[in-house]
Amino acid sequence: MIRSMFEAFKNLFKPVHTVNYPATELVLPKGYRGLIEYDKEACIFCDKCEKVCPPGAILFYQPLEGEKEYRYNPWLCIYCGECVRACPKPQEALWQSETKQQSALKEDGANEGWFVWEAACKQSREDFKAAKIKNKSEESV
Amino acid sequence: MKKTIQIPLGSQHISLLEPIRFKFECENEKIIGVDADVGFVHRGVELACTRSFEFKQVGYVVARVCGLCAITHSLSYTLAVEKLLGYVANDRIKYLRMLMVELDRIHSHMLCLAHTAENAGFEALFMQIMADRELVMDLQEAISGNRVQFDFIAIGGVNRDLTPELSALIHKNLELLSDKIDTLLGLFDNNWSLSLKYKGVGVLTLDQAYTYNALGPLARAAGLATDVRVETSDFPYEALGYTMVLESTGDIHARNFVRLREILNSIAMCRNIVDNLPSGEIQEKTKGKPSGEAVVRVEAPRGELFYLVRGNGQNMLERVRIKTPTFSAIPAMMEVFKGSEYADAPAILASFDPCMSCTAK
Amino acid sequence: MRKIETTLPTLLADIGTFYEARKWHFLSVNGIDLGEGKIELQWIFSRYGIKDEIVIYYALSDYTTPVPSVVSLIPSAFMGEREIVDMFGLTVEGALRGLYLDEDSLPHPLRGES
Repeated sequence: MIRSMFEAFKNLFKPVHTVNYPATELVLPKGYRGLIEYDKEACIFCDKCEKVCPPGAILFYQPLEGEKEYRYNPWLCIYCGECVRACPKPQEALWQSETKQQSALKEDGANEGWFVWEAACKQSREDFKAAKIKNKSEESV
Repeated sequence: MKKTIQIPLGSQHISLLEPIRFKFECENEKIIGVDADVGFVHRGVELACTRSFEFKQVGYVVARVCGLCAITHSLSYTLAVEKLLGYVANDRIKYLRMLMVELDRIHSHMLCLAHTAENAGFEALFMQIMADRELVMDLQEAISGNRVQFDFIAIGGVNRDLTPELSALIHKNLELLSDKIDTLLGLFDNNWSLSLKYKGVGVLTLDQAYTYNALGPLARAAGLATDVRVETSDFPYEALGYTMVLESTGDIHARNFVRLREILNSIAMCRNIVDNLPSGEIQEKTKGKPSGEAVVRVEAPRGELFYLVRGNGQNMLERVRIKTPTFSAIPAMMEVFKGSEYADAPAILASFDPCMSCTAK
Repeated sequence: MRKIETTLPTLLADIGTFYEARKWHFLSVNGIDLGEGKIELQWIFSRYGIKDEIVIYYALSDYTTPVPSVVSLIPSAFMGEREIVDMFGLTVEGALRGLYLDEDSLPHPLRGES
């Protein structure tokens, strides 16, 4: 009992344990799992990352002509790194950085904007498929 | 005329961090009847596992059942699926998985001890234990790359390897921690004001433990020698210096002591794991799709975690049954409340270490 | 893992002769939807102190048949029984709905057709 009172008194003169965040930056450990980054030049558009992503934070928009467009939602991502492991060209096309994502603001449209985009991607796939079938049938005719 | 008075505890209460509601039927200060409502945070994880996610993704979904024991959830699910796929992990994978589970146990037990101290009115001790707990949290962050959601275990292995720098860090932090645990042992044993709140309060007898199927530290504090770590052969615990911690009195003090001594045991095991880490691949490719039924039990910090997974050879699973430790501990918990004073209820509740997001899943 | 088949009418007798509180740890009651209105009910036990010994009593049933309650034999089974009542919309003697679900929730989330 007396010892614990002595300890409590000693604690008064000890430095604080907490960090004065956000005035002082937090020190992230080496190998922190941060944002997923993407390089369009190296990507081969195999869609493997989209398929394995547990929350569905990576989507590809399929325009009727030309290359697919990559879209990533950093606020939906769980930073598990499954996409990087599935990627046939890891560290070139897709890699995990050590930067931490800032919180989303309303302008970022982390939810509503993404729902619109999700629907658009789905629609684009269907449109593309329909166009393909149409092209094929025209060719065969 | 009615002689009893009903006092609720929760669902929002100053001493509770979890959304649980008890309705106590009290006779003066004594509790004679208990009714519990546990389903405030039901999210339908079991349904989502079978309808919305493929079996390779479910491991990341079940980790979100609970923040504190995320690693045990993903471990039990992964083990179950690996059993269905007929895959046996090599020793290095097993050791790395064990290392994370034991680190998880250390920090979860420390959280529980901190809360028991807080609910007994010892706020300073709460702060002290939570500060010491950062040592383990830092380790987990360094190993897995994230502080709470580790996402460390995947089907067919683990996602990250242990580097020599990490091993040195683990040794350094565990050394610091074991000294602090030794001081805590003395404090919990000798502090007079803590003993008033702990000794002889909230007793679960051995008979009650058997009848109400108590589990984990709760059962071991009552003298029931059960631990999933010795009742399953998935991991080589005996080879790494596991000893079962048993107490006999079954009160809050005994439960605290089981937790403190288990932390020491876990620290010793972590050191053994890091020193004797076998070589090998950390991730291997698994083939096929799960078909059949597998059951897995893993000792989570709060007791036994049970998974039943049934697949039919397709990407979607048929059933994922999650039975969490607190879910099974609630009957015993309600029994312990009966006959104790209302003022002791928060401390008793904290000593059970309830995890409601596990229970309601 | 050992699986033993039983039927709902003989369930209480079977578990009564099998279960000893000092020997067996009762894990939980579980239900698995088999489709077409069928359900497999499981009562899961594990042995104290012996490696990998799990016994599962299972019975095939449909959603309309009432399930007998094992609370008289195993007092801690009420949680599991309330859970299957919620999740599958079964009727179990003495178990109320509403452990997890509210009035406006899905009636029985884990049933096949829901």
